[in-house]
Amino acid sequence: MQKPAPLGYGLGFRPIYFEEIVATRAPVDWFEIISENYLVPGGRPKAMLERIRADYPIVMHGVSLSLASCDPLDYDYLRDLKALMDRIEPAWVSDHLAWTGVHGLNLHDLLPIPFTQEALDHVVARICRVQDFLKRPLVVENVSSYVSFAGQEMPECAFLAEMARRADCLLLLDVNNSFVCAANHGVDPRALIDAVPAERVVQLHMAGHVERDGRCIDTHDQPICEDVWALYEYTRRRLGPVSAMIERDDNFPPLSELLAELDRMRAIDAAIAAEDVGSVS
Amino acid sequence: MKLADLQAAFQAAILSGETKDAPILGSLAAPDQRAQGLSVYVNAYRIRLGEFLAEDYPAVKALLGAGRFAELIEDYIAAEPPKSRNARWFSSRLPQFMRESEDWCGYLREISVATLERALTDAHDAADAEPLAIEALAAFDPQDWPRLAFAFHPSVALFTAEAGTLAAFAAASAGEAPPPPAEEDASEKIAVWRCGPETFYRRLEADEYLALNEARAGRSFGDICELAAFQQQDALSPERLAQFLVTWFADGLVVGVSAED
Repeated sequence: MQKPAPLGYGLGFRPIYFEEIVATRAPVDWFEIISENYLVPGGRPKAMLERIRADYPIVMHGVSLSLASCDPLDYDYLRDLKALMDRIEPAWVSDHLAWTGVHGLNLHDLLPIPFTQEALDHVVARICRVQDFLKRPLVVENVSSYVSFAGQEMPECAFLAEMARRADCLLLLDVNNSFVCAANHGVDPRALIDAVPAERVVQLHMAGHVERDGRCIDTHDQPICEDVWALYEYTRRRLGPVSAMIERDDNFPPLSELLAELDRMRAIDAAIAAEDVGSVS
Repeated sequence: MKLADLQAAFQAAILSGETKDAPILGSLAAPDQRAQGLSVYVNAYRIRLGEFLAEDYPAVKALLGAGRFAELIEDYIAAEPPKSRNARWFSSRLPQFMRESEDWCGYLREISVATLERALTDAHDAADAEPLAIEALAAFDPQDWPRLAFAFHPSVALFTAEAGTLAAFAAASAGEAPPPPAEEDASEKIAVWRCGPETFYRRLEADEYLALNEARAGRSFGDICELAAFQQQDALSPERLAQFLVTWFADGLVVGVSAED
């Protein structure tokens, strides 16, 4: 499995920031798009994407592949995805270790799976079929969850590592999702970070969440909290240089606030790199 | 429980909104927290779909009021659970749902406004095509003009709405109280389209609506004159049709012209 070179520090592209990004040539190394938002015939979404693509590397991030669903893979969707991929030539294509519906429905949520051998076999087979169809490795992301299943046969970290090994796919490690899951299920968030195969992680997600009724909810509508920043630093020390980005999907702040969060990422990474240099010399 | 059965049960709980006695609870760990955890998915499903609808139908929401709109959302979600991979299409059938629903079919003005908002959303990301300048007609001999047929931008949509629809839409969009429903027993003919990145709409007179409908169906300039004269019992002059044509070019509706054999 060939791991793509790191792109640097990115943002999830949201149309609300389009004019400012173009006008200021915002200091972002790359953008991640939500693939489905651009699976439309034409108009402003496609025009915006082409304009952004002219200036920045793009990564495609899907939310509807439904990798873990027991419904058949949707090849019409995959054809549309591939057409978009061929048009904008993203650095890579990602989606989630989740399902979004069965019986022909798509609930537009990333639903949890039991970490069992049956689910592992099922997901691995589907990732392989998707990769064969797209003719490129798929990048698979860990999701936030609010329930866990009785009778699970392995922890999430073991499931992810084995899935990546058997499917020979790449991984997107969402640091905030690791934190949210750990808080909701009473485990150590570092266990997942420690277990992922570093050679397969090509991207990190960072985002904000809220706490409601004693539960962490992955809302992407808040600044990144200090606990998640600490986990980011831990992740960096474990994984080294990986393309990293911030997702913000609601309660949009001025773009400058997101750029400041990217600068904080850069500063953390620079400090770790300086430590590494110091320890070598 | 097999994975397929587990997913079916999980989805059933989300669709039903049942968290306290949902059969899936028996397959979840942490008995003291599982109903609360399941409710995160149950609530998020309705909130997310409600946001899609509110985003696509702000004027309908303003006309109905937040409370009644929430009831409409609830009914629509129950009747039309999402199937598309792209959330963009989830709200597409709302106008049709309202027309077909016993509880909502009486909201004629709101249905018309919903149809207008739907058309505007569809125009926003309809397929691209380059508008043609009217100078393109200079390439044709004037004696060929009766044989000219036109191609229109893929975003163009025409429909008949309740009287007062455009006034209600404009008021609702401006955050103003909507005018009382029109008493006239006349419908409004409305065109929606996109030119460049911007979407537009305007009211059409009956003869322009007829002419544009026929032109979009591929009928030639001369055929439309004859048809209009036949249907309206009075002649639609070539001069009036030519005025329409100038407007269609200026609005960016026309993307192709050819002389039919």
